[in-house]
Amino acid sequence: MPASPVIEVDALTVAYGDFTAVKDLSFEVRRGELYALLGTNGAGKTSTLEVVEGHRRPTSGTVRIFGASPQDRLAVRPRMGIMLQESGFSPDLTVQESVALIGSLSGRDDTVDRVLAVVGLTRKAGTVVAQLSGGEKRRLDFATAVYGGPELVILDEPTTGLDIQSRDALWDAVDSLREAGSTVVLTTHYLEEAQQRADRIGLMHEGRLRREGTVAELTQTLPSVITFALPPGAPEPPTVGALNGGFHIETFHLQDDLHHLLVWAHDHAVELKDLQAGPTRLDDVFRALDPT
Amino acid sequence: MLAIARSEMIQIFRNRLVLVTGLVIPVAISGYLVYEHDRFADLGSLGYIAAIVMFTVLALGLYTTAVTTLASRRQNLFLKRLRSTAAGDAGIVTGLVLPATVVALVQVVVILVVLGAVTTEPAQVVLLAVAILATTAMMVALALATAGLTSSPEQAQVTTLPVSLLVVAVASWVGITGTEDFTRLKRLLPGGSATEMVVNAWNGGVPLLESLPLLATTLGWVAVAVAMAVRLFRWEPRR
Repeated sequence: MPASPVIEVDALTVAYGDFTAVKDLSFEVRRGELYALLGTNGAGKTSTLEVVEGHRRPTSGTVRIFGASPQDRLAVRPRMGIMLQESGFSPDLTVQESVALIGSLSGRDDTVDRVLAVVGLTRKAGTVVAQLSGGEKRRLDFATAVYGGPELVILDEPTTGLDIQSRDALWDAVDSLREAGSTVVLTTHYLEEAQQRADRIGLMHEGRLRREGTVAELTQTLPSVITFALPPGAPEPPTVGALNGGFHIETFHLQDDLHHLLVWAHDHAVELKDLQAGPTRLDDVFRALDPT
Repeated sequence: MLAIARSEMIQIFRNRLVLVTGLVIPVAISGYLVYEHDRFADLGSLGYIAAIVMFTVLALGLYTTAVTTLASRRQNLFLKRLRSTAAGDAGIVTGLVLPATVVALVQVVVILVVLGAVTTEPAQVVLLAVAILATTAMMVALALATAGLTSSPEQAQVTTLPVSLLVVAVASWVGITGTEDFTRLKRLLPGGSATEMVVNAWNGGVPLLESLPLLATTLGWVAVAVAMAVRLFRWEPRR
């Protein structure tokens, strides 16, 4: 019998006056998975997350976290760490004081020293938040979210403004949490992060969930692409797969068609210039959501 | 709640502007009133000085500081951060205003003790304490309501003026002229009944039971302000 979902969103609608940001949205996040909620600007991700986090009430529909209402903070928050998109720390408090405050209110047990070490802020413990860089503030935010190793972590644009070392450290920490059984919900504009990390992805556009599935499930809905150029005077290859006017081939059979192309080039002693071939990327699926 | 209050106390003592406007200025004004107590007692009475001291500290030290704090914490999303924890809304608000409230109460008590020491002691200490606590509750509730209309700490300098000036002006009017004329108006204005309670408590000569309606009116203002706060208070900036 499958475990009950950590997050259940059912027919969620969020409206601001006449504008409806989220329309009849339904999805589930399963225990232990990393679910990436992605979308174009204005797709409704932030409104959805705000309801999931309990910061906003739905206009209609329901959201359940661990089977409880997100508004029920005493029941939900000790099991849930939230990394907000914007920092929200008091500029006059030090890093140590900020983590100690939010940690003490989280309902979870941990030590400030441990989480500061996880995010590499130990040396900044005595620095007031006003003197932190943007990246350091994001790491502080992450530290408060993972304080006490919550069962569910919501990461809203976690790596924005982070250098590559800090990103790696953050993902290492997320991996550790997942190994301990935590469920992670991620929003990000860095699609390669979602592609590499997510077990499942929900793609939102104009308030609705347009696609959902694993990376493989999402990318197999679009053809892969082979591109190349030919030297002057070279014969043109025969049509392979879906040939679109020359040297841009779209195919759902990448390996076979690429093999045919390379055999043909070898047999005709033709050098394929700028040859590129690869599976469909998440970017392509994302772009297909809104061709304009 | 206590963790939030502790962090707020740290921030009050780290922020020089809050320290000056919330601590130094009210104490300086009150100190001058006590120092010149003969002149101000001639103008009204010792009870009038006590009332003005109370409203100066509670308007500048508590009300203005609380509005500025809440607007600032909302503007930099600190309120949203706190609401992302297991803390409840009532605990968050209480923790945020508790330090300014305690500091203001300590200021009022110390200054009035000094006033009593250099002049005469209040006739009814219990009534005076009740009046101070009721007025404190009224100013906190008014601060929560005003914070709902205040989008930034800078704007708080403007939005706090009407209530601050009004309660000090009403305290002066009631304290100097008494409530023999315009009785109902003076008692219904914010701070009017509280001022009369403090004057009665300090000067004496008025039966305790006659002050109960004044307490009810002051608590009525608490209820009005709380109702306004529930309607107006916002946890996040308008987008």
